[in-house]
Amino acid sequence: MKKNMRYALILLSICAVSAFLLAFTNSITAPVIEEMDHQSRLKALEAVSGGLEIGEQESVEEQRFVTYRIPLSEEGEHTGWILGLKGAGYGGELTLVASYTLDGVMQYAQLLSHSETPGLGKKAEESWYMDKFKNTGGEQPVPTSKAMLTAPDAQAVSGSSVTFTAVAKAIKAGSDYVKDLGGTL
Amino acid sequence: MKINWKELTKGIFKENPVFVIVLGLCPTLGVSTQVSNALGMSAGVLFVLLFSNLLISALRNFIPDSIHIPAYVVIIASLVTIIEMVMHAFVPAVYSALGVYLPLIVVNCIILGRAEAFAARNTVLDSVLDAIGMAIGFALGLTLIAVIRELLGSGTITLFAVGNFDGVIRIPWFYNNPIRVMSLAPGALLLMGYLKAFFDWTGARKKDR
Repeated sequence: MKKNMRYALILLSICAVSAFLLAFTNSITAPVIEEMDHQSRLKALEAVSGGLEIGEQESVEEQRFVTYRIPLSEEGEHTGWILGLKGAGYGGELTLVASYTLDGVMQYAQLLSHSETPGLGKKAEESWYMDKFKNTGGEQPVPTSKAMLTAPDAQAVSGSSVTFTAVAKAIKAGSDYVKDLGGTL
Repeated sequence: MKINWKELTKGIFKENPVFVIVLGLCPTLGVSTQVSNALGMSAGVLFVLLFSNLLISALRNFIPDSIHIPAYVVIIASLVTIIEMVMHAFVPAVYSALGVYLPLIVVNCIILGRAEAFAARNTVLDSVLDAIGMAIGFALGLTLIAVIRELLGSGTITLFAVGNFDGVIRIPWFYNNPIRVMSLAPGALLLMGYLKAFFDWTGARKKDR
């Protein structure tokens, strides 16, 4: 009993020192990371807005894939939406932003955060990856399986089916959500 | 205090962790698509290996044998989390490129292997020298694989962007005639096999002499 208590105390003291060091490092790095994330989110919103005016963010409740929405407008007229989307990637949750016209056609998309495998799912960070979904969601359906892609496009996403499905499902859900809104603010 | 230089040099060639002991192959093959990734991963491993060996050696009489594995895991995991937070904040490009391989340093066999086999049985100074030697050996092995894979697979050598320099050196001829398989997992395994055979062959030749 005495021996077990000693072991427990030794482990507790190692854990306590580790926790202190981690908290100290976090206090230095967290503000830097937060500011960086904020800047990259602003950049991503600017990139997917396509030059339109970006409105105020509104949170979206009770949606599996859509987390928030931001209206887009041109000369005061509401022309589309930017949606915050999430999906289940290979390495955990991935988040992205995508812009849509009022009839649910996807215009631009960009990955914001993910833990996908370098060389495979991580390719979703690149702009050519999201171009596969550009102008889909209207007459042209969102490709939610590799069979819906051209042979070179299917080859380009090979080895990362889970990531592709996660991105495609999120973009399709965004398109459906915008269609359900029916152009209303 | 006598410095045992053999502890430093053995990890570089004689007991090179990549080509001789064959430890830590998962990150070696996973991140060696670009030279910058190899250098970032090497820096991470150097930091974790150096401080884990130092702490484990310093605490070797304090940590009882029965709980040494959980204690080592807490120490190593804390060091990896620290380097992960620092890289995320100050070198985000490298952090992003290393992806899941950075937290996986926790289970890198070189770290726990050296803690168990060396730091737990030797003095702090010898353990620090061992860590530096092993980390240099790992960095050399990883960088050699990354240079060959990136040169043949993409025709480039990617370093870090500085000022107007975007960090990418394009090598004429190779850039226009890349051997794509070298950038993929089979290329990594093929190259690793050839390099291992080469190092075994040179080792055997030395023994024969």
